[in-house]
Amino acid sequence: MASIRVENIEKTFGKFKALNGVSLEVRDQEFVVLLGPSGCGKTTLLRIIAGLEQAEKGRVWIGDRDVTELPPRARKIAMVFQNYAVFPHLTVFENIAFGLRMQKATPEKLRANVERAATLMHIENLLERYPAQLSGGQRQRVAVARALAVEPEVLLMDEPLSNLDALLRLEMRAELKRLLAESRTTTLYVTHDQVEAMSLADRIAVMNTGYVVQYDEPMKVYQEPANTFVGGFIGSPPMNFLKVRVEGQQAQLQSLSLKIPTPAPGPEVLLGVRPEDLEAYLEPQPQSFTAEVLVVEPLGPHLLLTLRFGQQLLKATVPPDFRVRAGQTLWFKPQPDRLRWLDPGSGQALAAR
Amino acid sequence: MNLRVLYMLLAGVLVVWVLLPIFLIATLAFSDRSSVFAWPKGLLPQQFSLETIAFFFGVEGVWKAIRNSLTVAAMTLVFSVLLGAPAGYALARYRFAGADAYRLLILMTRAFPLAILAIPLAVQFIQLGIYDTAFGVALVHTALALPFAVLVTSSLFLGIPKELEEAAWTLGCDRIQAFLRVVLPLALPGLAATAIFAFVISWNEVFAATLLTLRERTLPAFLLTSLNDSPLPFRFAGGFFLIVPALIFIFIIRRYLFTLWGIANR
Repeated sequence: MASIRVENIEKTFGKFKALNGVSLEVRDQEFVVLLGPSGCGKTTLLRIIAGLEQAEKGRVWIGDRDVTELPPRARKIAMVFQNYAVFPHLTVFENIAFGLRMQKATPEKLRANVERAATLMHIENLLERYPAQLSGGQRQRVAVARALAVEPEVLLMDEPLSNLDALLRLEMRAELKRLLAESRTTTLYVTHDQVEAMSLADRIAVMNTGYVVQYDEPMKVYQEPANTFVGGFIGSPPMNFLKVRVEGQQAQLQSLSLKIPTPAPGPEVLLGVRPEDLEAYLEPQPQSFTAEVLVVEPLGPHLLLTLRFGQQLLKATVPPDFRVRAGQTLWFKPQPDRLRWLDPGSGQALAAR
Repeated sequence: MNLRVLYMLLAGVLVVWVLLPIFLIATLAFSDRSSVFAWPKGLLPQQFSLETIAFFFGVEGVWKAIRNSLTVAAMTLVFSVLLGAPAGYALARYRFAGADAYRLLILMTRAFPLAILAIPLAVQFIQLGIYDTAFGVALVHTALALPFAVLVTSSLFLGIPKELEEAAWTLGCDRIQAFLRVVLPLALPGLAATAIFAFVISWNEVFAATLLTLRERTLPAFLLTSLNDSPLPFRFAGGFFLIVPALIFIFIIRRYLFTLWGIANR
């Protein structure tokens, strides 16, 4: 087990700059998720840490070792691939044993490690089978067991659940979380699925266009996005960003006046508020603003409203029994401690409260 | 329904077109001399006999030609796989400048008529001292078989996901170990097919073999030069021994030929 540290990693593919000087530290035994849209460089970063790609600039440390120049086999890592990459010509047992055989482990250790990894992944009764005889979910388990069997210092996972169907993904997600909490292996996990990231991570590194935009605990990333990209990317539906006029230290939305904690950069400021943090009322309220309901979407656990506030559109969720029709006007109060203030020019959050 | 009948009819004609000569050659190769000249011919060998075959093998030079053919074909097989497989692997795994042009160029070599090359090649071979040797013929046959070897192995390696190799690397293999432990076992059937295909190309090739040999004839070259002044039974027996290996090999590797032609994937 070891920490991972990357410093100023830069990588270009032809003319495309995939990574623009990324630095990141993963603590020992920590589970960190690299989250971002496709093309943001998250997989490239993972592959550079694995040694499957070479960065033009920057260094990679695993534990105290500078592994920048080392080939993958010398880095004491294990990797789980998106398409599993289970060896089709070997039985499940030989797949899991592959890394141990390369390490020239003793027969006793080999058997013990394979059986332990297989038991952890609940595939101990499939050991004699070939991958062609397994389902997608079972192959996924073999891939994880194969990675765990070598007792790596660092476990790297590249969208390991994205090829599974929705139900199986949910099941495997919970299982992975239990498993990695048990094995306490330092893990770096790549995904574009924000729910997966939220559910698994100790910390999330949100990436966009080759930069790490925000690196924090899941709830912090969710509630205090560093900029409009993070707020928009995480959460479904995404965070609302309302342009609001500034008067002195106050932001004014109709009868609602909110104190801005830091000096506003200009005459307008962006107010970030999550759809579930807007409380809706059918009757006029003091300290509120009105918006017209355009669309009502019943989603089961709640109703999703699309609203018009002046020229701007926003989303809000209300309880399923809330009696509302399209065309109605509602009064809204945001939860005052869940607000996020951002610079409308740069999209960056204003300095911390 | 009518279309189907027409389709079956056409298929039937084609089958007869291909099979009838093979059938006649096969039956007559195993008949006695008199039935070769008999008319009308029956469906089955009238007089089953090994007389014709025995006569064929009794002819001066046949055994030597067969031995030469086997030597040349075996050398062609080894050269084609040893040169073709690495080229195919490089084409499949690495992006390099001119990869597509290279791929096209490989195919173009097949379009170059051997007849134009033949005389300069013979002259060059005499100067190098490899004229009239199995090695010299094998070199030319390798040149003929290599485009297929490169393209088939390249599609073969393309069909093996790169992640399998990468997984092997992360699990402690260097590049060569990963190739030997993961890629090679998966590619082996296809490589075997490539090898057999090279063998058949060499076994059947007659033009270069005729031009580049005098005494060390391969079987096709030997038959070509001696057929015209041979008795009819000898021709049937010779034809039979040219067809049979090719038929067997094609039958074994037909699955991979389909891959080569892009009809079906493995």
